[in-house]
Amino acid sequence: MIFLRVFGEYDLSTQLKEQDVEITIEGKGKRKSYYRKVGEEEVKKFIHAEEGKVVICPVEPVNLPKEGVAEHLLIELDKPFIIESGFKDTFYVKFPVEIGVFLVDKKDVERIDIFTKTKPKYTLYGPPENGIICKWWKSDVYSEMPEVDRLYEGIMKIEIANNYYEWMEINKVVFRAFDMKLFYNEYAYMHATLTILKKTFGETTFNKRKPKNMKGAIDIYLAKGIKKFEKKFIMELGFK
Amino acid sequence: MNIWDSLKDVLELKVGGITVVNIFTFIFILLLAVVIGKMVRINLRRILREKVPGATLVAIEKIAYYGIIFIGLMVALPYIGFSLSGLLVAGGILGIVIGFASQTVVSNLISGLFLMVEKPIKIGDGVNIGDVSGVVKDIRILSTTIRTYDGIYVRIPNDRVFSSNIQNYVAHVARRFEYKIGIRYSDDAEKAVKIIKSLLEEHPLILKEPAPAIFVEELGESSVNLSIRIWAPSNHWFSVKTEMLWKIKVALEKEGIEIPFPQHVIWFADESKKILKKK
Repeated sequence: MIFLRVFGEYDLSTQLKEQDVEITIEGKGKRKSYYRKVGEEEVKKFIHAEEGKVVICPVEPVNLPKEGVAEHLLIELDKPFIIESGFKDTFYVKFPVEIGVFLVDKKDVERIDIFTKTKPKYTLYGPPENGIICKWWKSDVYSEMPEVDRLYEGIMKIEIANNYYEWMEINKVVFRAFDMKLFYNEYAYMHATLTILKKTFGETTFNKRKPKNMKGAIDIYLAKGIKKFEKKFIMELGFK
Repeated sequence: MNIWDSLKDVLELKVGGITVVNIFTFIFILLLAVVIGKMVRINLRRILREKVPGATLVAIEKIAYYGIIFIGLMVALPYIGFSLSGLLVAGGILGIVIGFASQTVVSNLISGLFLMVEKPIKIGDGVNIGDVSGVVKDIRILSTTIRTYDGIYVRIPNDRVFSSNIQNYVAHVARRFEYKIGIRYSDDAEKAVKIIKSLLEEHPLILKEPAPAIFVEELGESSVNLSIRIWAPSNHWFSVKTEMLWKIKVALEKEGIEIPFPQHVIWFADESKKILKKK
């Protein structure tokens, strides 16, 4: 049986096909073969597993093309968002989707593969001497939940509060991947807040509450066994 | 005779000319020095664990621990009749001798401590110290070890590290590198810039911001020279640099833009032409 959607939980022998993404896990006994194709890119691996399930879900979008380069996501707004002093508002942006394939059993979560359909790009937030290398993505600003190609982009709801005494123009928002909490069903979803405290100073955090009819994605840092200490991100190098 | 008097008598008893109370004081001061030394050692370990490399931390701990015991011993020795004045004279002379002999060691030690405080380099950084380039493998109390890019182990005394010009290639998160490419005078430089721009846009490790800069830098003798300035994460710039130059060359040639050989245009004067025609 071929499943026609990628996100979800599957048995250790399974075959999936959605758009140009194909994933096959097959084999008898403990030895399985894993095959994944996205566009022209193919990956083959062997898995030694007796029991468990395969979970395929969106992950924090900072792992590809090279792990360890960035731990932050910078979303550049296609059109600046201007907000009056003392006001709150909500808007939506799109973020790049990276998809993780995990082997989950009672004891552990093991990452098998991460892939993306997006074209990754890095950028620098701030000056070279004290800036931060971030994964870059450009998004329009939507006042309502936009339509997305779910294997390509996810939806991020951003609640913005301007606690500064002047009007503020926001051109970019930076998020710490450590703090992200992803959910998914038909599409990948995150709920973030941006609080502007000073002219070039604000903080971004994530709402961890699971929305209705959505599943919590596997946290890639917890899957790696990395303990999370720092949470919210302080944008101290401005919003332009 | 009550119990206090008998205790007093015992304490005032002399063993080899030293009272029992003095022997106890000597032992007490030594024990106190050991306890203080251990406390300082534990606290140093706790405070410096994240900041100082393992081997150096052990050295600092030992210096502090044995230093405190040495001070304790100096304080305690007079109680057992050991004259410090003689020891100081002997120690002074010995100190001068050792001082002369170990001034390089002390200089390295102090430089090592300053390097740990100032932190111009860290283990794993790609650096150039004086005439040595490579990756820092260890920063010890007396020396710094570097594995050169050729894979050779180099030990540099810390006083040389401290007094040398240090270039740390990864101290900043991003760095810039540059290519210079010449194209023919007959080629369209604007088209070449466009081709290179779109090629750089495709590469994930070429930073979006600061954006790459591509411009005509010079009208050279044989070519129109383009300058291409690219920013990349400091830990990955070299792989990007080695990868992109050839890709730029291939992309330009694919669009009919060529990198010319050095050339000279020779003009003959009219007289020369006539002579040539006659011939």
